Amino acid sequence: MKSAYNIHLIWATMMLLTISSYLIGEMGSGGVVATLFLLLVAGVKAVLIIRDFMELRGVSFLWRAIMYGWLVVVCTSIGIAYMLGNL
Amino acid sequence: MGTCSRLVGQIIKVRAHLTSKRSEIEPKLLPGDLAIWFFIFMELLVFGIFFISYAVMRIQNIELFNQYQLTLNRELGLANTLLLISSSYFVVRAVHSIRLNDVKRCIHWLYAGLAGGAGFLILKSLEYSDKFSAGIGLDTNTFYMFYLSLTMFHFLHVIPGMLILLAVVIQAKRGAYSADNYIDVEAGASYWHMVDLVWIILFPLVYIIR
Repeated sequence: MKSAYNIHLIWATMMLLTISSYLIGEMGSGGVVATLFLLLVAGVKAVLIIRDFMELRGVSFLWRAIMYGWLVVVCTSIGIAYMLGNL
Repeated sequence: MGTCSRLVGQIIKVRAHLTSKRSEIEPKLLPGDLAIWFFIFMELLVFGIFFISYAVMRIQNIELFNQYQLTLNRELGLANTLLLISSSYFVVRAVHSIRLNDVKRCIHWLYAGLAGGAGFLILKSLEYSDKFSAGIGLDTNTFYMFYLSLTMFHFLHVIPGMLILLAVVIQAKRGAYSADNYIDVEAGASYWHMVDLVWIILFPLVYIIR
């Protein structure tokens, strides 16, 4: 029952984070802070999907390293590219 | 003789204790089968290269990307994101149901997941229809080239994801799954979550971040 409750909470959290990202976009926010915040929100949602929806919590380190490594490389690369663009 | 048998008894107890401890600390297996995970990793690699290419190309075309990003329908993007997250959540519920041997509920949640995917495809088609009727295509400019190819590539992954879930529903109706046998349900769910995971990055990247 506890895990089912957690899944509800995780779903609700992801819905709220998505709406917050949209609202920031509607405010026309650009620049370094908004970019980093939106990437961070996307990263948090991705971690929740990998950990709780895909159920990779507790699997061997190799599989988790591949999934989280992919996420870190992609988000960091996008962040660096956007920073370079703002220079 | 009595001491010897007590010693053997102690050794057996210690061995049993160590074995149970080992199974407690051993990592759990990946959900589904290994083949689907290799497929997922390959897909993520390709999408990752696509995302980074978009960000790098944007450096040389910032004004163009910022200008044409505003022409995208962010409301449809938001609705599609909420649909995919909810659809993934429904599929998680389907996996939880089959683990409890509740096949009927598992099928219902899978239908709900499929409905979310169908909603995504309908909204995305409306979005494309709007763009195509405005004469926008892959050769319009670099931004639209990335927008259309990235989102269409993702669109083409939603369809097989739904077909896999549909196949799982058909098998579930035939009584193929139970609390002792649900690897295919987990495999289909894992692929569907990958489709969701990719969109979670794609939505802010293409529709919002400026």
